[in-house]
Amino acid sequence: MEREQLKTELKQHIIKYLNLLEKTPADIIDDQPLFGDGLGLDSIDSIELVVLLEREYGIKINDPKDGRKIFTSINTMVDYIIANRIK
Amino acid sequence: MFVHQSSCISPQHTFGTTDRETVVAPENNILKVIEPKYDGIPLNMLRRMGKAVRIGVGAAMPLLRQKQNLDGIIIGTANGGMEDCIKFLNQVMEYDEGRLTPTNFVQSTPNAIAAQVGLTSVNNGYNITHVHRGLAFENAMLDAMMMLNDNPDATYLLGGVDEVSSYNYNLERLDGWYKKEKIDGKDLYAKQTNGSIAGEGSAMFLVNNKSAGAILKVQAIQMLHTKDSVEVSSKLNEFLEKWGHHDVFFSGENGDARIQSFYDGCENLLNGSVTKLHFKHFTGEHPSATAMALWLACNFLETQKIPGHFFKGNPNQNPFKSILIYNTGKGMQHSFISLTKS
Amino acid sequence: MGRVFVTGMGVISAIGDSLSSSRSALLKGVSGIAPADLVQSKYAGTLRFGEVKMENEKLREISGVNRAGVTRTSLLALHAMNDAVRDSGWDSSFLNSYDTALIGASTVGGMCQTDELYRDAISETNGSAYTSSYDCASVTLFLREQLGVKGVTNTINTACSSSANAIMQGVQLIKNGFAKRAIVGGVDSLAKFTINGFNSLGILSPGNCRPFDKERNGLNLGEGAAFLILEREEDMKNKKVYATVSGYCNSNDAFHPSSLSENGEGPYRAMKGAMEKAALSPGDIGFISTHGTGTENNDEVESKAMMRIFNNVPPFASSKSKIGHTLGASAAVEAVFSIIGMQHGEIYPSLNFNTPIESTGLKPLTVHQKLDVKHIMSNSFGFGGNCASLIFSKA
Repeated sequence: MEREQLKTELKQHIIKYLNLLEKTPADIIDDQPLFGDGLGLDSIDSIELVVLLEREYGIKINDPKDGRKIFTSINTMVDYIIANRIK
Repeated sequence: MFVHQSSCISPQHTFGTTDRETVVAPENNILKVIEPKYDGIPLNMLRRMGKAVRIGVGAAMPLLRQKQNLDGIIIGTANGGMEDCIKFLNQVMEYDEGRLTPTNFVQSTPNAIAAQVGLTSVNNGYNITHVHRGLAFENAMLDAMMMLNDNPDATYLLGGVDEVSSYNYNLERLDGWYKKEKIDGKDLYAKQTNGSIAGEGSAMFLVNNKSAGAILKVQAIQMLHTKDSVEVSSKLNEFLEKWGHHDVFFSGENGDARIQSFYDGCENLLNGSVTKLHFKHFTGEHPSATAMALWLACNFLETQKIPGHFFKGNPNQNPFKSILIYNTGKGMQHSFISLTKS
Repeated sequence: MGRVFVTGMGVISAIGDSLSSSRSALLKGVSGIAPADLVQSKYAGTLRFGEVKMENEKLREISGVNRAGVTRTSLLALHAMNDAVRDSGWDSSFLNSYDTALIGASTVGGMCQTDELYRDAISETNGSAYTSSYDCASVTLFLREQLGVKGVTNTINTACSSSANAIMQGVQLIKNGFAKRAIVGGVDSLAKFTINGFNSLGILSPGNCRPFDKERNGLNLGEGAAFLILEREEDMKNKKVYATVSGYCNSNDAFHPSSLSENGEGPYRAMKGAMEKAALSPGDIGFISTHGTGTENNDEVESKAMMRIFNNVPPFASSKSKIGHTLGASAAVEAVFSIIGMQHGEIYPSLNFNTPIESTGLKPLTVHQKLDVKHIMSNSFGFGGNCASLIFSKA
């Protein structure tokens, strides 16, 4: 799958899993921080993203704390998915 | 205890532009809330909220704006969070206890309503959730009265919230608490068959011990657990001897033939001059429906106007200063609430 | 208005099914944490729990319950409540009076029957015997029916602080003249629903929980029930008395749905408020029964809150290292353990502690000690920021 296509798909998944109201993929900027000030996600969201990676891409992250580096931005997530996806 | 402000999100036009004359009919015997646009709730919080939390926080918002620095939040709910509960349960089963998303679990607890109201207003005060089914809201009222006794200068947010989720609707349906035949709201009382119609809603109040500027005074509450209608009538007699005549009897009768005798028994104790009203065609049957009855009572006492559809029998324009609400949950839990114009 | 006294207690947990067997276990420092045998869950054998090793049939037999549709939660509650009522020497005139209140607490309710709930929630035609037994109120209503209580009856759910609030409600009802006596407490049983809920948050320990330890890595779920009988001071002639409920406070952390704020505002206010209610100063508290779940968040925050209040933090320990986190029951169970200790002039240690948390340096009690404690503080902090602190004092 093309990187651009994967980014859009990932954004759609994130919007669905985290129920981001009134947001479309176009609203999520690729290198914007997902946590803290950027998209404003928190610790419960990081757990939801771990589940997203497992259900949609077959990637298991055993320690949720490892997730924080992977979830820095859309770009870092896409890099990780490309390198590790099973589905 | 005095009620100063009230707010209600319900299946009727009770929030924003209110209209008590119009009665929205049930759909397939369910009265579902009309949800407003939740302007005051940050999207980041709103996205996680289940229905009970949304309508609880939504109804609380106008009151939170009126009074910052509340001393506490006291909520009664029997079914709050059940929608999220079943969503989490479905995950448990679908993924065979594998890796699951936690939001539904965290939002499935009944105390999520009071917690989110506390979070939205950053309120560190007293925060409690009463879940005693058909007396959840009444217990919350009693708690507020006791807290005000202890803290006479305090103001609390008091509320009753319940939601119809697919889960609790089905359980109640299996237990025979809803009508099998399709019913229009206005026929609810006329057709005496088993069951009633389902409802949901959220009613919130600012309460304190100051009479100046209050809409009404909650004079007394009594709760009872019994299946004996003679005991109920006897206790009502005692209650009336202590608290006197009430101009209006606001009945929670709901068209369920099996429990009508409780309501009839209480009505028979009242003298003919008492105006008799009912509310379940407006609210639907749900454990904290008396919270919505209190909201209606606030409006009636303040405006001295009661829309015709609330009257049992012919409407009248008699002035009134006191209201007695009587409700029973499943013919087993009962409450009398005495209200007077402030 | 006079004081409110504790005149009877009953408890069941992973370390004992009575007051005397609980005390025995507390003295020996027994741990009830082990793989689960009875609860039906994929994690029963792999994670560790404070399970009550008594099957439902045995609980039914002891309490004489024959009818269908009674959940494990209700059975555990009945066991503890019956013991408490017997312990206080009550007769039926007390039970059947309109002046006797019953306040229960639970977070699981009948959802321990997770599989039945799933089926009933979608069933078109026939429900199981449990259709009216899933909510938390069903437990208190069952207890009420068993005892014939006629006074104010209520159920509280404020997550892990539920039974602390039930105890507070009982005290308030008596002080405000709405009851002359109250049966108060809480219960929770292990459930597939809750096991998975907590697991999804990543806060279950893969081994034994290690409250206040630098290497702590989560909590162990437990189950249990405890009830206390509260009565008015003016009715105390010739009555055995355990303690007074001298202080109590409910406060909200208002920070996050499932974790505590860094400086522990909710816990701090709850503890401070309880001491103000009891007209005590920090130096008066002889022992703290902490919430101490063994999670990274709770133990550090609770430590910081204690350090904000106490210049010298008194001896403290976590019962959860022995019985797991019994959720809605925890405040009541741990209150009973605290009162047992105070009655016998002893304090019980925390298990699995080695190295203190770096930012606090606090060390829980690790060995049993004889100590005459006059005032014990017992803390419970739940989801939704629902924090509660209780103080029991020697009568």
